[in-house]
Amino acid sequence: MTVNVGDAIPTFTRATGFANWNRYAAVNDEFVPIHMDDEAGAAAGNGGAFGMGNLQWAYLHNMLRDWMGPNGEILSMEVQFRSPNVKGQTVTAHGVVTAVEGDVVTLEVWTDQQEGTKLAPGTAKVRLAQ
Amino acid sequence: MTDTYLTDVVRQAAGRECSRAVSYPIEASDIRKWALAAYWPERPPQFLIDAEVAPEDFDPFAWGPASYESLLPDDDGSVIVRHGINERALGFPEWKFRAGLNGGMNCTYGVRMHVGDVITDTKSCGEYTERQGRNGLMLITQSISTWTNQRGELVKRTINSGIRF
Repeated sequence: MTVNVGDAIPTFTRATGFANWNRYAAVNDEFVPIHMDDEAGAAAGNGGAFGMGNLQWAYLHNMLRDWMGPNGEILSMEVQFRSPNVKGQTVTAHGVVTAVEGDVVTLEVWTDQQEGTKLAPGTAKVRLAQ
Repeated sequence: MTDTYLTDVVRQAAGRECSRAVSYPIEASDIRKWALAAYWPERPPQFLIDAEVAPEDFDPFAWGPASYESLLPDDDGSVIVRHGINERALGFPEWKFRAGLNGGMNCTYGVRMHVGDVITDTKSCGEYTERQGRNGLMLITQSISTWTNQRGELVKRTINSGIRF
Protein backbone atom coordinates (compact mmCIF):
# COMPACT_ATOMS: atom_id res chain seq x y z
CA MET A 1 0.00 0.00 0.00
CA THR A 2 1.37 3.42 -0.96
CA VAL A 3 0.47 6.12 1.54
CA ASN A 4 1.13 9.85 1.25
CA VAL A 5 0.62 12.81 3.53
CA GLY A 6 -2.78 14.31 2.80
CA ASP A 7 -4.40 11.03 1.79
CA ALA A 8 -7.93 10.58 3.12
CA ILE A 9 -8.64 6.97 4.08
CA PRO A 10 -12.04 5.30 3.51
CA THR A 11 -14.65 6.44 6.02
CA PHE A 12 -16.77 4.29 8.35
CA THR A 13 -20.43 5.32 8.74
CA ARG A 14 -23.30 4.16 10.92
CA ALA A 15 -26.80 5.44 11.67
CA THR A 16 -26.92 5.56 15.47
CA GLY A 17 -29.49 5.06 18.21
CA PHE A 18 -30.51 2.58 20.88
CA ALA A 19 -29.99 -0.42 18.59
CA ASN A 20 -26.25 0.37 18.37
CA TRP A 21 -25.83 1.67 21.88
CA ASN A 22 -27.52 -1.21 23.67
CA ARG A 23 -25.51 -3.78 21.74
CA TYR A 24 -22.31 -1.93 22.54
CA ALA A 25 -23.27 -1.59 26.22
CA ALA A 26 -23.39 -5.37 26.39
CA VAL A 27 -19.79 -5.79 25.22
CA ASN A 28 -18.24 -2.78 26.93
CA ASP A 29 -19.76 -2.74 30.41
CA GLU A 30 -21.65 0.47 29.67
CA PHE A 31 -25.14 -0.07 31.04
CA VAL A 32 -25.20 3.57 32.11
CA PRO A 33 -28.54 5.42 32.43
CA ILE A 34 -27.47 8.41 30.28
CA HIS A 35 -26.97 6.01 27.37
CA MET A 36 -30.16 4.01 27.88
CA ASP A 37 -32.78 6.35 29.26
CA ASP A 38 -34.01 9.63 27.76
CA GLU A 39 -34.82 11.14 31.14
CA ALA A 40 -31.32 10.46 32.44
CA GLY A 41 -29.79 11.83 29.24
CA ALA A 42 -31.94 14.97 29.45
CA ALA A 43 -30.97 15.48 33.09
CA ALA A 44 -27.33 15.44 31.94
CA GLY A 45 -28.12 18.28 29.54
CA ASN A 46 -28.31 16.44 26.24
CA GLY A 47 -32.03 16.47 25.49
CA GLY A 48 -32.24 12.69 25.76
CA ALA A 49 -30.11 9.59 25.85
CA PHE A 50 -26.83 9.81 23.97
CA GLY A 51 -24.24 7.39 22.68
CA MET A 52 -21.07 6.28 24.39
CA GLY A 53 -17.79 8.04 23.74
CA ASN A 54 -16.30 4.56 23.63
CA LEU A 55 -18.46 3.72 20.60
CA GLN A 56 -17.06 6.75 18.77
CA TRP A 57 -13.68 5.34 19.76
CA ALA A 58 -14.68 1.94 18.35
CA TYR A 59 -15.86 3.45 15.04
CA LEU A 60 -12.49 5.18 14.64
CA HIS A 61 -10.73 1.87 15.30
CA ASN A 62 -13.05 0.09 12.84
CA MET A 63 -12.18 2.65 10.16
CA LEU A 64 -8.44 2.16 10.68
CA ARG A 65 -8.80 -1.63 10.80
CA ASP A 66 -10.89 -1.76 7.63
CA TRP A 67 -8.28 0.36 5.86
CA MET A 68 -5.21 -1.55 7.06
CA GLY A 69 -6.54 -5.08 6.97
CA PRO A 70 -5.97 -7.83 9.53
CA ASN A 71 -2.18 -7.47 9.69
CA GLY A 72 -2.04 -3.75 10.40
CA GLU A 73 -1.60 -2.52 13.98
CA ILE A 74 -3.09 0.43 15.81
CA LEU A 75 -0.25 1.74 17.99
CA SER A 76 -1.98 4.63 19.73
CA MET A 77 -4.97 6.92 19.62
CA GLU A 78 -6.14 9.98 21.50
CA VAL A 79 -9.47 11.72 21.09
CA GLN A 80 -11.49 14.40 22.82
CA PHE A 81 -15.24 14.01 23.14
CA ARG A 82 -16.50 17.42 22.07
CA SER A 83 -20.15 16.92 21.20
CA PRO A 84 -22.67 14.20 22.10
CA ASN A 85 -23.87 11.54 19.66
CA VAL A 86 -27.64 11.86 19.98
CA LYS A 87 -30.34 9.55 18.62
CA GLY A 88 -30.90 9.58 14.89
CA GLN A 89 -27.52 10.98 13.93
CA THR A 90 -25.52 9.40 11.17
CA VAL A 91 -21.95 9.22 12.47
CA THR A 92 -18.97 9.01 10.15
CA ALA A 93 -15.37 8.29 11.12
CA HIS A 94 -12.71 10.06 9.06
CA GLY A 95 -8.93 9.89 8.80
CA VAL A 96 -6.32 11.94 6.93
CA VAL A 97 -2.64 11.02 6.83
CA THR A 98 -0.41 13.66 8.44
CA ALA A 99 2.96 11.85 8.56
CA VAL A 100 4.61 8.76 7.13
CA GLU A 101 7.81 7.31 8.63
CA GLY A 102 8.58 3.94 7.11
CA ASP A 103 5.63 1.68 7.89
CA VAL A 104 4.35 3.94 10.70
CA VAL A 105 1.61 6.35 9.69
CA THR A 106 0.14 9.20 11.75
CA LEU A 107 -3.38 10.36 11.00
CA GLU A 108 -5.72 13.10 12.07
CA VAL A 109 -8.94 11.26 12.90
CA TRP A 110 -12.41 12.38 13.86
CA THR A 111 -16.05 11.46 13.91
CA ASP A 112 -18.75 13.84 12.78
CA GLN A 113 -22.50 13.81 12.37
CA GLN A 114 -24.46 14.26 9.15
CA GLU A 115 -24.28 18.06 9.24
CA GLY A 116 -20.50 18.05 9.68
CA THR A 117 -20.29 18.85 13.39
CA LYS A 118 -17.25 17.13 14.82
CA LEU A 119 -18.03 14.82 17.70
CA ALA A 120 -14.65 13.30 18.55
CA PRO A 121 -11.47 14.73 17.01
CA GLY A 122 -8.04 13.29 17.67
CA THR A 123 -4.96 11.59 16.29
CA ALA A 124 -3.88 8.01 15.71
CA LYS A 125 -0.66 6.19 14.91
CA VAL A 126 -0.67 2.88 13.07
CA ARG A 127 1.83 0.40 11.65
CA LEU A 128 0.95 -0.91 8.23
CA ALA A 129 1.45 -4.54 7.31
CA GLN A 130 4.67 -5.21 5.41
CA MET B 1 -18.80 28.51 45.25
CA THR B 2 -15.71 26.37 45.58
CA ASP B 3 -12.43 28.31 45.32
CA THR B 4 -10.48 25.22 44.40
CA TYR B 5 -11.04 21.50 44.09
CA LEU B 6 -7.36 20.75 44.39
CA THR B 7 -6.85 20.05 48.06
CA ASP B 8 -3.61 18.52 49.28
CA VAL B 9 -5.29 15.11 49.38
CA VAL B 10 -6.31 15.41 45.73
CA ARG B 11 -2.90 16.59 44.60
CA GLN B 12 -1.05 13.90 46.51
CA ALA B 13 -3.19 11.10 45.09
CA ALA B 14 -1.72 11.42 41.59
CA GLY B 15 -0.04 8.18 40.64
CA ARG B 16 -1.58 6.14 43.43
CA GLU B 17 -2.79 2.65 42.47
CA CYS B 18 -6.44 2.20 43.40
CA SER B 19 -7.73 -1.17 42.23
CA ARG B 20 -6.83 -4.33 40.38
CA ALA B 21 -9.27 -6.43 38.35
CA VAL B 22 -8.57 -9.74 36.60
CA SER B 23 -10.62 -10.91 33.63
CA TYR B 24 -11.97 -14.34 32.86
CA PRO B 25 -9.97 -16.06 30.09
CA ILE B 26 -10.90 -14.52 26.77
CA GLU B 27 -13.08 -16.78 24.62
CA ALA B 28 -13.59 -16.63 20.88
CA SER B 29 -17.28 -15.91 21.41
CA ASP B 30 -16.38 -12.83 23.48
CA ILE B 31 -14.44 -11.43 20.53
CA ARG B 32 -17.20 -12.31 18.05
CA LYS B 33 -19.88 -10.65 20.17
CA TRP B 34 -17.75 -7.55 20.56
CA ALA B 35 -17.22 -7.35 16.80
CA LEU B 36 -20.89 -7.91 15.99
CA ALA B 37 -21.83 -5.05 18.34
CA ALA B 38 -19.12 -2.63 17.23
CA TYR B 39 -19.85 -3.15 13.53
CA TRP B 40 -23.65 -3.58 13.81
CA PRO B 41 -25.74 -3.63 11.62
CA GLU B 42 -23.12 -4.67 9.08
CA ARG B 43 -21.02 -7.81 9.32
CA PRO B 44 -17.57 -7.45 10.89
CA PRO B 45 -14.45 -8.43 8.96
CA GLN B 46 -13.96 -12.19 8.74
CA PHE B 47 -10.78 -12.16 10.84
CA LEU B 48 -12.82 -10.86 13.77
CA ILE B 49 -15.39 -13.62 13.26
CA ASP B 50 -12.54 -16.14 13.18
CA ALA B 51 -11.62 -14.51 16.50
CA GLU B 52 -8.12 -15.77 17.22
CA VAL B 53 -6.85 -12.25 17.94
CA ALA B 54 -8.92 -9.57 19.64
CA PRO B 55 -9.18 -6.08 18.20
CA GLU B 56 -7.17 -3.46 20.06
CA ASP B 57 -10.23 -1.89 21.68
CA PHE B 58 -11.82 -5.19 22.80
CA ASP B 59 -12.99 -5.24 26.44
CA PRO B 60 -12.53 -8.56 28.29
CA PHE B 61 -14.34 -7.13 31.33
CA ALA B 62 -17.68 -6.63 29.58
CA TRP B 63 -19.78 -8.47 32.17
CA GLY B 64 -17.51 -7.89 35.11
CA PRO B 65 -14.13 -9.19 36.28
CA ALA B 66 -13.34 -12.67 37.56
CA SER B 67 -11.74 -11.05 40.60
CA TYR B 68 -11.45 -7.54 41.93
CA GLU B 69 -9.49 -6.02 44.77
CA SER B 70 -9.21 -2.50 46.00
CA LEU B 71 -5.70 -1.32 46.81
CA LEU B 72 -6.94 1.44 49.12
CA PRO B 73 -7.03 0.94 52.90
CA ASP B 74 -10.46 2.58 53.30
CA ASP B 75 -12.14 0.39 50.69
CA ASP B 76 -13.09 -3.23 51.32
CA GLY B 77 -13.57 -3.79 47.59
CA SER B 78 -17.16 -4.95 48.01
CA VAL B 79 -18.31 -2.42 45.41
CA ILE B 80 -16.56 -2.93 42.08
CA VAL B 81 -15.48 0.40 40.58
CA ARG B 82 -14.77 -0.45 36.95
CA HIS B 83 -15.12 3.01 35.45
CA GLY B 84 -12.80 5.49 37.10
CA ILE B 85 -11.49 5.25 40.65
CA ASN B 86 -12.96 5.23 44.14
CA GLU B 87 -12.51 8.90 45.08
CA ARG B 88 -14.25 8.50 48.42
CA ALA B 89 -11.78 5.83 49.52
CA LEU B 90 -8.96 8.15 48.47
CA GLY B 91 -10.36 10.70 50.92
CA PHE B 92 -11.39 13.22 48.27
CA PRO B 93 -14.00 15.85 49.23
CA GLU B 94 -17.64 14.96 48.52
CA TRP B 95 -18.07 17.41 45.68
CA LYS B 96 -21.48 18.34 44.30
CA PHE B 97 -21.52 18.78 40.54
CA ARG B 98 -24.30 19.66 38.10
CA ALA B 99 -22.82 17.61 35.30
CA GLY B 100 -20.03 15.23 34.43
CA LEU B 101 -18.71 14.58 30.93
CA ASN B 102 -16.39 12.08 29.31
CA GLY B 103 -13.61 14.40 28.20
CA GLY B 104 -11.49 12.05 26.15
CA MET B 105 -9.19 9.08 25.95
CA ASN B 106 -5.51 8.64 25.21
CA CYS B 107 -4.36 5.08 24.67
CA THR B 108 -1.06 3.41 23.82
CA TYR B 109 -1.27 -0.22 22.74
CA GLY B 110 1.21 -3.01 23.39
CA VAL B 111 0.77 -6.68 22.58
CA ARG B 112 -2.55 -7.95 21.21
CA MET B 113 -5.05 -9.97 23.23
CA HIS B 114 -5.63 -13.57 22.14
CA VAL B 115 -8.12 -16.30 22.97
CA GLY B 116 -7.15 -17.76 26.34
CA ASP B 117 -5.44 -14.62 27.62
CA VAL B 118 -6.23 -13.37 31.12
CA ILE B 119 -6.02 -9.60 31.45
CA THR B 120 -5.22 -7.64 34.60
CA ASP B 121 -6.41 -4.04 34.80
CA THR B 122 -4.64 -1.87 37.36
CA LYS B 123 -6.31 1.48 37.85
CA SER B 124 -4.42 4.51 39.13
CA CYS B 125 -5.37 8.04 39.98
CA GLY B 126 -4.06 10.52 37.43
CA GLU B 127 -3.45 14.21 37.76
CA TYR B 128 -6.45 16.35 38.65
CA THR B 129 -6.53 19.94 37.39
CA GLU B 130 -9.09 22.74 37.24
CA ARG B 131 -9.91 25.71 35.09
CA GLN B 132 -12.52 28.41 34.76
CA GLY B 133 -15.09 27.89 32.01
CA ARG B 134 -18.53 29.08 30.94
CA ASN B 135 -20.01 26.87 33.65
CA GLY B 136 -17.77 28.13 36.41
CA LEU B 137 -14.85 26.31 37.94
CA MET B 138 -14.42 22.96 36.20
CA LEU B 139 -12.62 19.95 37.59
CA ILE B 140 -10.67 17.89 35.05
CA THR B 141 -10.01 14.36 36.26
CA GLN B 142 -7.77 11.58 35.03
CA SER B 143 -7.84 7.88 35.71
CA ILE B 144 -5.17 5.62 34.29
CA SER B 145 -5.87 2.06 33.34
CA THR B 146 -2.95 -0.30 32.68
CA TRP B 147 -3.73 -3.70 31.19
CA THR B 148 -1.24 -6.56 31.23
CA ASN B 149 -1.61 -10.17 30.17
CA GLN B 150 -0.78 -13.36 32.10
CA ARG B 151 2.85 -13.03 31.00
CA GLY B 152 3.09 -9.50 32.38
CA GLU B 153 3.25 -7.94 28.92
CA LEU B 154 1.67 -4.52 28.46
CA VAL B 155 -1.59 -4.74 26.49
CA LYS B 156 -2.54 -1.09 26.72
CA ARG B 157 -2.34 1.98 28.89
CA THR B 158 -5.30 4.33 28.76
CA ILE B 159 -5.71 7.76 30.28
CA ASN B 160 -9.40 8.62 30.65
CA SER B 161 -10.23 12.28 31.19
CA GLY B 162 -13.41 13.59 32.75
CA ILE B 163 -14.86 17.07 33.14
CA ARG B 164 -17.19 18.05 35.98
CA PHE B 165 -18.84 21.32 36.86
